[in-house]
Amino acid sequence: MIKACYIHIPFCERICSYCDFCKVYYDNKWVNDYLTSLELEIKDKYQGDVLDTIYIGGGTPTCLKIEELKRLFDIIKMFKVSDNLEFTIEGNIESIDEEKLKLFKNNYVNRLSIGVESFHPKHLELLNRRHSTKETIDALTLIKKMGFKNINIDLIYAIPNQTIDELKEDLNLFLKLDLPHLSVYSLIIEEHTKLYLDKVDNIDEDLDYEMYQTINQILTNHGYHQYEISNYAKDNYESKHNLTYWNNEEYYGFGLGASGYLGGVRYTNTRSISNYLKGNYVNEKIQLTKDEMVENALILGLRKIKGIKIENFEQKYGIKMMEDKVIKELIKEEKLISNNGYIYINSKYIYLSNEILVRLMK
Amino acid sequence: MKQENIRNFSIIAHIDHGKSTLADRILDATSAVTEREQKKQLLDNMDLERERGITIKLNAVQLKYHYQNEDYTLHLIDTPGHVDFSYEVSRSLAACEGALLIVDAAQGIQAQTLANLYLAMENDLTIIPVINKIDLPNADIERVKKELKDTLGFNEDEIILTSAKSGIGITELIEAIIEKIPAPKGNKDDNLQALIFDSYYDAYRGVVALIRVVNGKIKVGDQMKMMSNGLTYEVVELGVHNPYPAKKDMLVAGEVGTVCGSIKNISDIKVGDTITIEDSPASNLLPGYKPMKSMVFCGLYPLDSSKYPELREALEKLKLNDASLEFAPETSKALGFGFRCGFLGLLHMEIIQERIEREFNIDLIATSPSVIYEITLTDGSVINIDSPVKMPDKVKIVDIKEPYIRTNIFVTSEYIGPIMELCQNKRGIYHSIEYLDNTRVSIHYEIPLSEIVYDFFEKLKSYTKGYASFDYDFIGYKSSNLVKMDILLNGEIIDALSIIVHKDFAYNRGRIIVENLRKLIPRQQFEVPIQASIGNKVIARADIKAVRKNVLAKCYGGDVSRKRKLLEKQKEGKKRMKMIGSVEIPQEAFLSVLSMDEED
Repeated sequence: MIKACYIHIPFCERICSYCDFCKVYYDNKWVNDYLTSLELEIKDKYQGDVLDTIYIGGGTPTCLKIEELKRLFDIIKMFKVSDNLEFTIEGNIESIDEEKLKLFKNNYVNRLSIGVESFHPKHLELLNRRHSTKETIDALTLIKKMGFKNINIDLIYAIPNQTIDELKEDLNLFLKLDLPHLSVYSLIIEEHTKLYLDKVDNIDEDLDYEMYQTINQILTNHGYHQYEISNYAKDNYESKHNLTYWNNEEYYGFGLGASGYLGGVRYTNTRSISNYLKGNYVNEKIQLTKDEMVENALILGLRKIKGIKIENFEQKYGIKMMEDKVIKELIKEEKLISNNGYIYINSKYIYLSNEILVRLMK
Repeated sequence: MKQENIRNFSIIAHIDHGKSTLADRILDATSAVTEREQKKQLLDNMDLERERGITIKLNAVQLKYHYQNEDYTLHLIDTPGHVDFSYEVSRSLAACEGALLIVDAAQGIQAQTLANLYLAMENDLTIIPVINKIDLPNADIERVKKELKDTLGFNEDEIILTSAKSGIGITELIEAIIEKIPAPKGNKDDNLQALIFDSYYDAYRGVVALIRVVNGKIKVGDQMKMMSNGLTYEVVELGVHNPYPAKKDMLVAGEVGTVCGSIKNISDIKVGDTITIEDSPASNLLPGYKPMKSMVFCGLYPLDSSKYPELREALEKLKLNDASLEFAPETSKALGFGFRCGFLGLLHMEIIQERIEREFNIDLIATSPSVIYEITLTDGSVINIDSPVKMPDKVKIVDIKEPYIRTNIFVTSEYIGPIMELCQNKRGIYHSIEYLDNTRVSIHYEIPLSEIVYDFFEKLKSYTKGYASFDYDFIGYKSSNLVKMDILLNGEIIDALSIIVHKDFAYNRGRIIVENLRKLIPRQQFEVPIQASIGNKVIARADIKAVRKNVLAKCYGGDVSRKRKLLEKQKEGKKRMKMIGSVEIPQEAFLSVLSMDEED
């Protein structure tokens, strides 16, 4: 049974300098055709499973006009959903208003994930995002006023020229907003982004690490717990949808450039909007081998601070984790810890987790 | 074939002056090769040769040409162009009566033009000067003619103008070969003297020697004898290349061809040696034989230690075709089992390394090149060492001598200043400057060979925007104030990184090496100090920082395939590192000691 579904809305009104996700400039000529194609894709793949989570990501889903959003929700009505559905929509500060929020509410959206990225004008400019601190605070206040409780914001740190003090200011503003969830990412300068083309350098590794520790400390002191490398939540506010990924469970992925995992096959949709509109949805399909599944389970599972539940892993993949030579070595070196039926990365080494994963790969 | 209708000749030139293309055109003109077979540069057999545009191993081709109602047989003996192989060049020239001296119409005379010309003159060859590439837009035929006349003393009417690329002047050239180069003089009734000017290994026939029969004749079934070492073999097969192998029953005085005798070991067949017949031996060797001597040494280690047997096999296979390659097992504390290898020169070293990596697929770590040092000890004895590791304790040393070379750097006069500066930085001693004409000079410095094995070539190129050409002669050993400098990682001496360096240059060199290593070695699990020391005295230090971050900051469902690729790349990267103690060192770090510059 598939329990999770991701829907990609690729449209954006502005392209962020660090973004290498699949996105196109918003153009109302295309949105309706896109939604038509999306509906066909969903009808084509969806098997009637009862979903626990729906996640509309982007791009900027909230940049769609109200009529377009209504149509999107009409499409989504075809899904069967469970009673405790987690239904997330991503958005940005500029495109949220009361009318849209009301529409979300009426369509069972119960979690909002807002790309704030930074509160600092200088850093927002480098990231090519244009909202003021006041606009951010106003928008989030409105969201809370409208009755949304499960709210996440994204923040980015390790931005070129960022200081520890500026990072602390960002965190303090987040704390003031009193939201239950924070995704906080160290800036990755990916190829095919403006930052990369502008030859922007990463900040010093030591400073990056110091920032990571600062975040960890401040958030932990304020009642948030880290449950994944870059994710912090108040109790019971972990993202169920994202945990599906990290638990290496299957999910539907619909829309331009989206990926999904169905029947042991990981597929990725085309990033070409013209192909997508023609109904050529899938670009790549990989039937995973057993080894790849196991490795994915480790790569994803060890992102969770709680780690991998040994019993589940053994049931699912038929592998006795505690007898694996490399795992035993890593436990001996105290890089992995085995405790209470779980295996997880020693918190001292979380920021070096690739060094561990590389050893776990065949 | 009448002996008076045979012409044996070579083509000599500076690199890239069009030697191989010209050889191809001559082959075309004598219809030796059909068009379909005309790969560019037919004589260069190895891929590597073709790629680098240089000739490494020799070849000899038999060509037929009809001229003025007579049939002529031409033997074209190809020579390597590079200074490292000058002994081989000299032996192949000794197999000829004449040589074509090719000069590029745009570049004029260069260092190797002269070096090769001198070798040809030593062998008393008739030289035909050829200006090639005359159809280049920047050709300056008049200037090059003047150089040939003023500097080398040729007459204007001797000079032949060609464009090998467009086929201009080829017929005139072939006719000049027939008209001007004398027929071989030997007596076919004398006892056999055949000069070995090259050899190679053939999987089916064993060692194949390329020979020029100087006197007498050699037949299949003869019992032949190598005059330098007395080894005898039955002649199993004789042949020529035209350019494809064709069998012969007999080769007689004046002819050039191949001989096989089920010979297994290429080192038994020495270039420059004389073959005679066991029963009726010639009284003496042909002149000029000398054993080849390695000038440059380095340690070669497999990156993956388990590939040691494969590396041995690769070296053995290469040695089959290359008698000048020397190797002996060597153990390094840092790198494990490997081989100390000796080469004729730097290019030779590079070529061997590249062939091992490419043809045998073994990733190598090469230690920094060394020369042979002559060390006088307190007890009066003299030892030779080819590796810094073998350096005796300082208190036992009275004197260290190192090999010196004399440079022959060809360049336009505007670069005299920078070149003098470069040579001085390389501990060079000024010898002389010769003016070829108003603008072109040949600069002579005496420089320790060990300084040339570092980055001299690259420096020379960058100092002169690539215009300088360079050649050198070995001139002997001189005393120097040398010390051994060790590099320590995490407090441990990494023997493979030790170098021998002049005392006055040690401090600066140590500082640069340590700094380069700091940049080349990635962050480690913990902080690692890098030190340079002489004896127990640390003269430079830098620290490699501990790795703080190696994490996929963001990874959601669809990303996992992409992130896997990233992790796989990291894993691959780790495989290309050498684990020494607990420090991971990338391959290129071992050569960083070569560079006198700070890396960016």
